[in-house]
Amino acid sequence: MDAPVSDGTNRDQDIVELPHTGARERAFEALLERYEGKVYRLCCALLRDRSQAEDAAQESLVRVWKALERYDGRAALSSWIYAITRNRCLTALQQRRRHEPAQEPNDDAQQTAQGAAPEPWDGRTEELRGLIETLPERLRRAPLPYYYEERSVSEVACMLGCPEGTAKTTLFRARTALGELLKRRGLDDPAYWREDVS
Amino acid sequence: MNARKPTELELALDEALGRALRAPQVPHSFRARLSAAVTRTAGIHWAALREQMENERREQLRRLQREYVRVRRSTIVTLLAAAFAAGAAAMLAMPWLRAHLGSYAPMAVAWSGAALGLGMTFHEPLRALLRRWSNAP
Repeated sequence: MDAPVSDGTNRDQDIVELPHTGARERAFEALLERYEGKVYRLCCALLRDRSQAEDAAQESLVRVWKALERYDGRAALSSWIYAITRNRCLTALQQRRRHEPAQEPNDDAQQTAQGAAPEPWDGRTEELRGLIETLPERLRRAPLPYYYEERSVSEVACMLGCPEGTAKTTLFRARTALGELLKRRGLDDPAYWREDVS
Repeated sequence: MNARKPTELELALDEALGRALRAPQVPHSFRARLSAAVTRTAGIHWAALREQMENERREQLRRLQREYVRVRRSTIVTLLAAAFAAGAAAMLAMPWLRAHLGSYAPMAVAWSGAALGLGMTFHEPLRALLRRWSNAP
């Protein structure tokens, strides 16, 4: 089920070296090509709110831009970028909790968090999304980036800043919890979920 | 590590989750907004320049304030010195003035001092007034 592990450290060497030769803009351009989408998706996964995710992704990338020349290469570029993004998202979550303690992310956001791409209306898909929303926050965090990033556990671990083993365990627990929920609701027939959407 | 074979339900659920959790697309306007934000950040140089100018202005104001205080202090010192000097001069000149002016001497000294003070105070306006009179047709 897992996609091959990408070697982020070697892959980003070209970007890492550019700022030191004075080509900060080029480095940032290359960085955006590689990480813009991932940063945005991580923000969507953590915040589950389209506009907040967009703002957080933008602010995170601006912070990356500001700090790019100071990046010392001690951590992999991807880990560094994701750490900045996570911190920004955690701040946004704290602010959200302070200002709107009882309010959940808006409907529009929910749609984005699970994939904004237009698709044929399917009751099961909506059902599944609803079930994921009922999972505890700590379990919900891993599946979203896992499926966003084409089932790459290493990418999820890097995004969430945890060891791969932890990411795998969280995914396993999330799937188990989801399976339990399906059983409880009598939706545990594999054929029901496998049926062609179209 | 759990190496057991996934069940039918788990496989089906994985498929369904893959369908349900599609990666959200980055909005079209995102790059433009980001570029604008980065450009604003690059404007940090302007902000730094502004801060530097404000610092310079503050320093200049502090210098002016120090200068003002110094001038005020020296003016007061000058006035006091002039007053004491005038008193001393009057004391020295008093015997000679008494000999020549008699009992009018203190009055003459007081009037002379008042005239000198008024002259010094209204020196500039008086000169302007005289200049205007002399230029008048």
